[in-house]
Order: sequence, then structure tokens, then C-alpha cells
Amino acid sequence: MSFIIGIFICLGFVLVKNEEVFFEYPEYWPKPVYNFSKLSMTEEEFQLGRHLFYDPLLSRDHTISCASCHLQATGFTHVDHDLSHGIEGRIGTRNSISIMNLAWNTSFMWDGGVNHIEVQSLAPISSENEMDTSLAIIVEKLNKSEKYNSLFQKAYQDSLVTGQKILLALTQFVVMLNSYNSKYDKYIRNELGGKFTEQEKIGLKIFRNNCASCHKEPLFSSNDFKNNGLNVDSTLNDFGRMMVTKKPEDSLKFKVPTLRNIQFTQPFMHDGRFETLQEVINHYTSEVQHSPTLANELQEQIILTHKEKVDLLVFLRTLTDQKFLYNKRFSYPRETQTN
Amino acid sequence: MLKSKTIKTITSKKIKLVTLVLLLANSILFAQGNHLKIEINPFFKTKVLKKDSWYVSKNNDSLQFSKIKFYLTDFKILTKEGKTKQLPNSDFLVSIFNVESRSILLENISYKTGDQLLFNIGVNEKMNTSGALSGSLDPANGMYWSWQSGYINFKIEGKSPSCSTRKNKFQFHIGGYKKPFAATRFKSVTITNAINNVLIIDFDIAILFDSIDISNLNQVMIPGKEAIEIADILPNLFSLNE
Repeated sequence: MSFIIGIFICLGFVLVKNEEVFFEYPEYWPKPVYNFSKLSMTEEEFQLGRHLFYDPLLSRDHTISCASCHLQATGFTHVDHDLSHGIEGRIGTRNSISIMNLAWNTSFMWDGGVNHIEVQSLAPISSENEMDTSLAIIVEKLNKSEKYNSLFQKAYQDSLVTGQKILLALTQFVVMLNSYNSKYDKYIRNELGGKFTEQEKIGLKIFRNNCASCHKEPLFSSNDFKNNGLNVDSTLNDFGRMMVTKKPEDSLKFKVPTLRNIQFTQPFMHDGRFETLQEVINHYTSEVQHSPTLANELQEQIILTHKEKVDLLVFLRTLTDQKFLYNKRFSYPRETQTN
Repeated sequence: MLKSKTIKTITSKKIKLVTLVLLLANSILFAQGNHLKIEINPFFKTKVLKKDSWYVSKNNDSLQFSKIKFYLTDFKILTKEGKTKQLPNSDFLVSIFNVESRSILLENISYKTGDQLLFNIGVNEKMNTSGALSGSLDPANGMYWSWQSGYINFKIEGKSPSCSTRKNKFQFHIGGYKKPFAATRFKSVTITNAINNVLIIDFDIAILFDSIDISNLNQVMIPGKEAIEIADILPNLFSLNE
């Protein structure tokens, strides 16, 4: 009898159904580019990805996690550092980019060198200025970890860690980091808390007339690469997209980043050269450098009065999504279960 | 009535016997089966290729090899009648100095003598743009670029006094899937004599080193013109051992 009960208990464990997670976004948004087919879309995979995202075990000397350069409260980017730093204080060549609404991205990194969200994390993992390790080494480390054997078992019904599973779990976490509840979003949806002041309305108008052709609503980005007229920093000599495509016409082009949560994602630009939004706006109105690959949108000078600049800044603050920046589901995973 | 029945029986037995004999002869004389094992034998010209042994190329370069790894993928059978039969999930990572990985088992395939076996040296564009894959295509296998997505189709590492690089090392990481620098190459061999369903393919690395100047070309780590130059030679390294 106890044997039969034993079997039932065993079966009970085997048959535990994972809790489904849903990918939600406003119905008037475009369809996501990412095809979710490889993800299990379960709470267990999400939680595994969350643990991995916050775990310094992913770096060679266990000092740096994904979250070191992608902090939630600042829109999942590295605040106050022009160039992001990795293990042993090594400095990279680019400003870490914010992580949000990634399912709509067709490529990743400032130069678009990464072609798919599921393989994006390989870049920081193996960059010697960032985590300086390899996926194979992480597989080995995680396979020795009881905590992760248990988390992988829960997520995939198999405790064996593979490179693919690590990458998919990280994807399951980061792809859920979606921001669509800013004051601007509520204004668009006519929701409570979405009443724009006159100044915000004027700011939105200025934005639409001068910025929205590249920073397209509702994502405030585009999957394009543009030369936005920054002069070349001779200490970096970073020519952006051309280094990936080897095409001269891609010289000095970088990804058009999202402006969502921009109030908190300073510094700005691929090399973090501007600390404030005022500097960014001044760049676009009076410092654009003309070169053969300069974006068409910037060929003609953008002229804004001092008041218009202030109005634009006020509007940009409406892109702040407190619900996203302080969502506990996205924060450091407290040990809620004992394994 | 009864007689004729007996005769009939004998005849059908005879036919069965003849068929059996024919089938036996067939499997001995002509390859025909439902699986195919490919064995890759590495050489440097006529010498068996071994890790960290010294070899000399036609250009008088002394060479030592520490790593040779490559993908063979997308196996297909092209019948004499012109029909193509694709083998799903036939993606293999071969490491020349690892005996087990040099043996590739293709299951559930039917073929006969005179058919052609087709495959890619490297990974096709679709797999290069499909995110995180598993098994032999798992990026943890160390055959994937991280800063610029894509598989390394072919890795050759070693040293030669002809290379004025650090520790005289040469490193060829050949890959790239975007035109005009797509480095995946196609290979076909005619199945003539697969005894016991085994096809032996000789892999001669000397063919590559006889045709490049390694004092100038010794570090190729990114997709581009130089990778293409090497990729174009790679199919010649493989030949059917008859």
C-alpha cells in the first residue's frame, strides 16, 4: 500500500504543472518582432532567468552580474558611468544601453552586431572588459550548483544545465521587462493619471515635430542605425555599425535608442558623453557635425527657443514609468524558497 | 491440381531464395541501407594527422596543429533520379583530435550506390539567425561569436615558425553568414562503395596549407574577404576514400 502511495507521490512531483506567464502589451502597439517559440513562458523559467540576471557567478571572478550595468531603478542601465565597467574595474568602450521592450528589437547592441535576443547575453559574458568568461565555463559552474540544479529542474524538468537553457532563461526574464505605463502612455490611453499639463502637451508637439521621425512612438526608438552628428572621440575611434557591416556608408552609425525612462538613464549617447538631457538637446539644436553619413533627419538644423527646450524636457519626463522602475518582479530575487 | 500447387510452392521458394541471394550480393557489392556512418580520417598528405606533431607543407612551412574543429550540417541524399531527401537535424560538430566526434551516424536514410551525399561545411544562414540552439549548435561549444552573432564554421589553430606572431601561432576562425562574406560551403560525394554502410572520408589539412602564405595570412578571426579566401579552399580538404 505504502508502495502505491509512494508511486502517487512520485507522480505528483512529476506532474507538477508550471505556472504560465503571459507577455502583455498595449493592443495598439505593433506586434513584437521576437518569436517566443523556444521559451517555455513559465514562472519557473522567468525566475531562473531572474536569478541568473542578478548573479555575479556569470563573471570570471564572481564580481559582476548583468544587473551591475543594468540597474532596474535607472531603466536597466548603468547610471553615472559614461563607459560601463566590468570585472577588475576594466572600462569598456560603450555606455551600457537600457533594457526594456526588447521583444520589438530586430538587433541588439549599439552597433547591431547581435542578431537575436537569445544570444545577446553572450556579448557581455565573453567581453574581456565585462564578464570575461565563456558560456561553457558558466555551464560548468552552474552544473555544480545545487541551487541551480534545482532551479533548472523546476524550469525544464531536467536539472542538467546547457548553454541553450541559460540563454533561454535569461531571455525569458529580460523579454518581460516591458515599460508601457508612463504618464505619456496613460495620456494616450486616456487613463487616470494621464492628464497632460499645457506645457507637456506643447512639449509633445515639439517632440513630434523634431524628434519622432527617429524616436518613433510608441516605443520611442526605431530599429534603425543613424549618424546623429557626434564628433568622433579620438580616444575611442568608435565608428559604430561600420565595424560590423564593413560598409563605409555605415560609418558613425549607432542604434537609435529608446527614450522611455530617459529621465533616469543618464549619461547619454553610445559613449555616454552627455550627462544631462539639456546637453543632448543642445547637441541636436546647435552642435550637429556634418559628415557624409549624417542622418537625413539632421541635415537641416533643428531650431528651438529656450522655452521650447524646457517644454521638450518636461515632456520627456512623462516617459518615466514608475511601475516599471519599481516593479518588484524585476528586482533582485530574495530567497523566498529554501532548496 | 495437387501437383501444380506443389510446383507453385517450389517456385515461390525459389524466387525467395534468388531474392535473398540477390539482396546479399547487393549489400556486399552495392551499398544500400537505412543508415550511413561517416568516418573522417585526418591526414597531412599521406601521414596520419596527429595533435602537436610537426608537418611540412609544400611551401616549406613547418606546422603543428592544436585544434581543428568544424561543423558539417544539412545532410541530404540526392538520388540518381534527381530526388533530394533531406535529413532533419543532421548537424555535427567534428573535432579532428577527438576520435568519437569524427564518426557521424546518419540514421533513417535510404540510399543506394550512385546516389550523392550532400552536406554543408559550416552552418547555414537560417541557423545563424535562429537565436540559442541546442546540441552541437549550443553556443557553449565555443564555436559561436559573441560580439557579432554567428557561428564559427571552421576553427584551425596551431603554430609555425613561418608566423611572426606571438608564440608563432596561427588562428583561423572561419565563419560569417551574410553576403558577400557568407563562408559556409557545400560539398557532395558520390556513394560508390559504402561497405557495411560506412563511408570513409579523408580529410587532408595539407591542401589548405599548401595553398596559402601563412607568413602573411595567419590570423583570421572575423567574417570578411580573408575568411572567404580560406572558406573557398575548405571543400577540397574532404575526399571520398574509395
